[in-house]
Amino acid sequence: MLEISGLTVAKNQRTILNNLNVNLVGGSWTCLIGPNGAGKTTFLKVLLGVESYLGKVLDAGENVYKNSKRNVAYVPQNPQLPSGISVREYVALGRARLDGWGVEKESSREFIDHILESTGLFGMHDQHVGQLSGGESQRALIARALVQRPRLILLDEPTSALDLHHQIEILNCIESLKAQGVTVVSTMHDITLAAMYADELAILKDGRLLICGPTKDVISSTEIIDAFDNRINVHTLDSGRSVITAKKSEL
Amino acid sequence: MTRNQKWRAVPSLATFGEPGLVLASSLILLLVCLLGISFGPIHIGFSEIIKSFSGQRKGLTEQDLSVIFDIRLPRVLLAALVGSALATSGAVYQAVFRNPLADPYLLGAAAGAGLGATIAFTNTDRNIYGLLPIFSFCGAIAAVLASFFISGRFFADPSSLVLSGIAIGSFATAVQTYLQQRHSALLRPVYSWILGELTAASWQVVIWSSFYILCSLIIIFSLAKRLDGLLLSDEEAFSLGIDPQKIRIAAISAATLATATAVAASGLIGFVGIVVPHLVRGITHRVTNRQLPVIALTGASFLVLADLGARTLLSPAELPIGVITAFVGAPFFLIVLRRRRVGA
Repeated sequence: MLEISGLTVAKNQRTILNNLNVNLVGGSWTCLIGPNGAGKTTFLKVLLGVESYLGKVLDAGENVYKNSKRNVAYVPQNPQLPSGISVREYVALGRARLDGWGVEKESSREFIDHILESTGLFGMHDQHVGQLSGGESQRALIARALVQRPRLILLDEPTSALDLHHQIEILNCIESLKAQGVTVVSTMHDITLAAMYADELAILKDGRLLICGPTKDVISSTEIIDAFDNRINVHTLDSGRSVITAKKSEL
Repeated sequence: MTRNQKWRAVPSLATFGEPGLVLASSLILLLVCLLGISFGPIHIGFSEIIKSFSGQRKGLTEQDLSVIFDIRLPRVLLAALVGSALATSGAVYQAVFRNPLADPYLLGAAAGAGLGATIAFTNTDRNIYGLLPIFSFCGAIAAVLASFFISGRFFADPSSLVLSGIAIGSFATAVQTYLQQRHSALLRPVYSWILGELTAASWQVVIWSSFYILCSLIIIFSLAKRLDGLLLSDEEAFSLGIDPQKIRIAAISAATLATATAVAASGLIGFVGIVVPHLVRGITHRVTNRQLPVIALTGASFLVLADLGARTLLSPAELPIGVITAFVGAPFFLIVLRRRRVGA
């Protein structure tokens, strides 16, 4: 359970997050939605513990700032993939917290292979990670986060560089983490995909939290239309699934 | 898999593993040290050297023993210490600044040491020439500390730290040039020191420099595996349980201490800090910092060989060792660079 009250982040006299109050349920998937510059990435960095803030942010009752004891995985939007190490070595870095740096326990090997397989990277485990394409890099990043066996996983646009096939594969993989009790917080620009997978949606705009609640309620709220300045349409299909499109006049 | 087959797999040298590479580079260093002790104006055979170390001194003259233990052994050991310090520090600077062109003199250590040495040279009348190593050591440390404090927020902004290092370096060089102009007799000894020299190697220098260099190397090696966290962004490194800022400060402090000691003991020997780490990475195709011990051992071998060249090529005259490191290192480095580009 993540308890957030009065969360404010200001940098260079600019308020990035403004008095956020929200509780995120453990073992659920919360997706942050909002236009560029809404403060989504900053919010993830606060939850990770690397961003200083005013207010209170507690993870299972513990303060999050600079608390390196928490096993939290982080997948950035624009990764820096080092050249000169193999895909397997890169993914195995995710075991550093559990096995120690530069150590790969026997018991971890099978698990790493399993994650490489489930993220479609097994055939290229011996190749240089710097040579991967955009989509493959994204999968390597997610694989590294998965081998970490985190309690909380923070994903900044995890599907932005993936084709549809791999988007679904990765999202299914992330969804399966919930069954293991992992809390997932992600940002996503594709609201249709977010609505398909997330249990809860949180709409951010200009550093303010407009609404946070069950996906079904948020997707049909007026706040989501307001967040995007009335530039999106929400269609509800017969199956009950929602599809979000940009208004034609805006294209 | 068809698509993958055209990709180059990580080469097999790395399959020796770090222990295998450490063993191989240790054996090479041992061999190179034997060469360093053996060759010179008086040639001493390998078997004589091994005999003298094992205490069987039959057949060896007093002169041979003096050449081995008083002249060549301290010189070879000092070259090995300085080489390992500069190579390891270079690799640490490259990892910390995520810049393959970073070298141990990046934050003004060389210019600070140069100024310290020049001040010592200007005061020969007051008999502080013997304090040259202390002056250059203090100059190097002071320049790096000044770079840190002037940049303000330590590693919060690495580019401002580097710029601050450049500014401090330029300032120290300007003062050094001014002093040299005021005391023109200094030009020759200062210039010779800038090109690096191991002629002053004595047991005393070996003992004090080994203390600082070995302490620094122990700190760096203990951080080596966690330095791999700097291959990732700071946020990712933090998520894996390390504080990247603390690792950077500890690693750079240890690398600066090693560099300042190396400069104080042997003057400014360029190129080792860039060439050796890239050479090792070029051969093993690895960037992980777990191979820092291999880089240290290779740096030691490289400088022992360079020193051997410096004192034998124009024997009985000696070339400055910095000339040899650049003369041999640059083409070798370019070959490795080209091979890597062709391979990629």
